[in-house]
Amino acid sequence: MAESVCRSLRDGVLEGELAPALTIKDSLSSPFGFNVFSHILVQLSSHIVAGKSQSRGMVIVSLSRSPSSYTGLLKMNGVDVESSKKWIHILDCYTDPLGWKDKTRKSGDIMDPSNQILSSYKTVKDVNKLFSVICDLGRGLVGENKSRFCVAIDSLSELMRHSSMQPVASLLSNLRSHDQISSIFGLLHSDLHEERALAAVEYTSSIVASVDPFHHSVDGQGSYIRNSSEPNLTKGKLNIRSKRRNGRVRVTCEEFKVGPSGISFAPVSAVDGAAVAGLIPKVQFNLQLSEKELVDRSRVVLPFEHQGNGKPIQIYDGRRSLEESNNETTPISGGKKEDSGRGEIIYFRDSDDEMPDSDEDPDDDLDI
Amino acid sequence: MATTRTRVSSFSHNVSSLKSSQHPGLKNGPNGTTFISSGISDLDKILGGGFSLGSLVMIMEDAEAPHHMLLLRNFMSQGLLHRQPLLYASPSKDPRAFLGTLPSPGSSKDDTSHKPSHEKDLRIAWQYKKYFGEPQLNINTNNGGHHDYCNDLDLRKPLERHFFTSNNVDCVSIQNSPNLDALKDRCAEFLAQFSRNEGSISSAGRIAIQSFCSPQCKYSDMEWHMLSFIRSLKGMARSSNVVVVATFPPSLLSPSCSKRLQHMADTLLSVRAIPDEDKELAKLLTGYQDMVGLLNVHKVARLNTQVPVILDATTFSIKLQKRRFLVFECLNQAPVDGSGGSSYGNSGVCSTSTKAGPLDF
Repeated sequence: MAESVCRSLRDGVLEGELAPALTIKDSLSSPFGFNVFSHILVQLSSHIVAGKSQSRGMVIVSLSRSPSSYTGLLKMNGVDVESSKKWIHILDCYTDPLGWKDKTRKSGDIMDPSNQILSSYKTVKDVNKLFSVICDLGRGLVGENKSRFCVAIDSLSELMRHSSMQPVASLLSNLRSHDQISSIFGLLHSDLHEERALAAVEYTSSIVASVDPFHHSVDGQGSYIRNSSEPNLTKGKLNIRSKRRNGRVRVTCEEFKVGPSGISFAPVSAVDGAAVAGLIPKVQFNLQLSEKELVDRSRVVLPFEHQGNGKPIQIYDGRRSLEESNNETTPISGGKKEDSGRGEIIYFRDSDDEMPDSDEDPDDDLDI
Repeated sequence: MATTRTRVSSFSHNVSSLKSSQHPGLKNGPNGTTFISSGISDLDKILGGGFSLGSLVMIMEDAEAPHHMLLLRNFMSQGLLHRQPLLYASPSKDPRAFLGTLPSPGSSKDDTSHKPSHEKDLRIAWQYKKYFGEPQLNINTNNGGHHDYCNDLDLRKPLERHFFTSNNVDCVSIQNSPNLDALKDRCAEFLAQFSRNEGSISSAGRIAIQSFCSPQCKYSDMEWHMLSFIRSLKGMARSSNVVVVATFPPSLLSPSCSKRLQHMADTLLSVRAIPDEDKELAKLLTGYQDMVGLLNVHKVARLNTQVPVILDATTFSIKLQKRRFLVFECLNQAPVDGSGGSSYGNSGVCSTSTKAGPLDF
């Protein structure tokens, strides 16, 4: 159920760190980003209402869908929107983002004043003002004390359409470093933007969940041929990359299925390991020793090392092995005569300080 | 045979000895250059002594990992410990707050733990050795001599405040400035204090610029502006006794801009993230559990000479020893199928067979 992601958004931020920021990235080949977004929205909302999360309120910046769709979505999933304690506020940037209606219609107040959870925002191009409005709304929800709120941005793509990459990136980083924000999450359509804009949003977010088509192969052409005839309209894969505090990246993959009741997730078994090989150079042999090997090597007792520890030191003089001189019963060294009766073979060694003969084991002098 | 000589292996640079009459933070390098420490002793060793004064060091960040901050922290902290003035620029609103995370020298008892095992004397099984009494200890002069030059910095222990509350440290925030001109002027002022003349070096300075092309900055899409900033900074730094360390995330720039920045660097390093709990990587590398990332050394500065530095290895693993001390180690890999050839330098190579199967000859 995209558990880990929901959990990190629910747990929120630790003191002195930046708030976790999730970016859900989808594309035309698998356009289920909004399903994932709404799933996370519902999960987080139910945690907030139940009091289980760090954030006490939520501000939804709705750019691509009307605010009533959010209230409808939450009601459908059993989340109480109109509770007595106000916990949610929707900033309506959908109805009139550029303030055109104000210019054309001079009279009347189109906004419904009785609606407590909605406010209208008319200058989407001014991202700085958007930031301050979000902060004010959030503070209005949770109060001035240490409570925090979370922010959901319906479509970062819409925001980037109205302004540009740099203001949106700075909005995200300002939100992350605001001391009353617990977590933020937003939706992005990756095929609407340039590489650099996507990279900038990924740089500023701490978790990137990309919604991919079900058969995602490395070879782009193959998947096109396969998928264009039968696009899979209900299933897909969610690849999550989350940045951990120790600097490692946790990569997880889940399969999801979109149905009439919502989206359901299932863990996937096969993980693509080919990307790992590109990180390290191909070195053939391991020329260094591990710690255990070093310790073992130092424990090996070399010949002659154990002598001199109290026992008499024995010097081998090349003639006979040490063991044989101690406990031989039948001497086999070549200095003796061979007694066979009539025919005698008398063998005298030429000199005493020659190197040991080849019939003697040259390793005899190793005293292990 | 049992006499001790400090053996200089034929594979190491013959770096001239430390002049203790000079500042402890400076060391003479080859070809008339002077080194200052990077704050990490392993990195100093890899680079042949440290960062050369007058050079520009660029660190390529990985968008997914904050390892460049570890390198910057050690660099800045080492400079403050040696009383070398520091100029720090960052895209956050309050750069001064970062100074609170700088590491302090750790206790020196622990740092010799892994050194002797690598440099132990060759053990010879010789039957007359026992007549010559105790074998002489190989006194490792490196540790003693470098004690002041490069401290072992403990990342969990913050630096004492008196090191950076003095006038030594200047912090600049580049978040709200519309362009880099203000930063360039500040750098020019700073560098003017350290201009090189024929006399001996009185003091050295350090400039640390963090993520200068971060997307929060207003000028982040003005690529030529950023390139000309770095070029002028490099020119000013070359004639002064300062080391400039700048980090940038190459994925946020266009490929041509990123390549130009890489070429401008005198010393080029890059840090990369590694996947967490990855079974493939755990099988391939020993010591994977302690690793937090990878460091690649692409280029090492060589001033006043045309002879390049060729390193034995260019990829190192970044580990936090005891979660406090930053070390870089050579990668220990299991024998792999060597048909792919060396692939460092290419970041996106994915070979089809990566199984550590039997070696093919």
